[in-house]
Amino acid sequence: MIGASAPLALTVQLAWISSISFGGFPTVLPDLRDFVVGTNRWMTNQEFANLFAMAQSIPGPNMILMMSFVGWKVWGFPGALASAFATFGPPCAMYFTAYRLWDRFRAAPWQRVVRMGLAPVVVGLVIASGTVMAYTADNSWRAVMVTIATAVTTLVTRLNPIWMLLAGGILGGLALLD
Amino acid sequence: MTDLKQAEKVVQAVHLRALFTTFLTISLCGVGGGAGIVWARRLVVENRRWVTEGEFTDIISLFQFMPGPNIIGISVCVGAKMRGAIGAIAALCGFLVIPWTVGLSLGLLYLQYANLIALRNILGGIATSAAGLLIATGVRLLKPHHHRPASLLFAALAFSLITFGKLPLAAVLVSLVPPSILVAGIENARAR
Repeated sequence: MIGASAPLALTVQLAWISSISFGGFPTVLPDLRDFVVGTNRWMTNQEFANLFAMAQSIPGPNMILMMSFVGWKVWGFPGALASAFATFGPPCAMYFTAYRLWDRFRAAPWQRVVRMGLAPVVVGLVIASGTVMAYTADNSWRAVMVTIATAVTTLVTRLNPIWMLLAGGILGGLALLD
Repeated sequence: MTDLKQAEKVVQAVHLRALFTTFLTISLCGVGGGAGIVWARRLVVENRRWVTEGEFTDIISLFQFMPGPNIIGISVCVGAKMRGAIGAIAALCGFLVIPWTVGLSLGLLYLQYANLIALRNILGGIATSAAGLLIATGVRLLKPHHHRPASLLFAALAFSLITFGKLPLAAVLVSLVPPSILVAGIENARAR
């Protein structure tokens, strides 16, 4: 089912995805889903949504965990490890280099312009990821209501997100979202 | 002056173990995404005083240009500032190794019991809320831009190209980032 070249293909793809993940974890979710569920059929939509839920509800580096779960699914522990390195390796190298170039970056007048141009695109990508994940995870109109209610609650209150994840988990556990 | 001297002392005294444990704490506190930066600021700026408020803001804004989980950039930068490359590695290991091992083990435990319907339902419910959290995060990020039409336009285009156009991320970045920066540059030049 899973060919010998799958681990390599996944690692290369993850390294590429993480190198363009401006805005972090959320912006790459649609691409990751297409690659893993669509192109390669390594898992179903449902499995992908479950991994996403796990990565979001476990403390720690959730982008790297998400990629590692995918890696595990494809190639066991070596896959998980390779995926983790592919995910944080390229950005870390860039961060370290950028830190070395710190002073040159700092006062440049183009800095503000680039940030002003990049920010709205990233914002749009984050909202799109939420929508794509909702499409992947929500199987019923009740689930859609929960997604909307969570979004609204987050926007109008300062409630810790963990409570909303917990509420979603309880509603799901009671089989109210099928 | 005394502040400066104190700061120097702190820099010299920082142990790799301290970098490791501090970033371990930040990693474990930032559950659900988004809260990580809050904890990083509290520990690194307020408690440890490894970087000043201004430096911290500089680090954050620098990383808006960069791919990857930005919070990792904080550990790399602060570690590098305190102890160079080895410090960056210590901070990064603190941030990653234990949380990654714990998280992966929990996840694999789930995969063992993946056929339990109750567990699958719970995770499905969490995914449903987590998607809502992502949407809200995006909308909140949009707020500071809402009075600038070009920002709204490019945000809407990026959203639509991914959601409805189903284009890959790279294609969206390549087609939207240059014009968006161009427009920002023109606005900036006019404002002067």
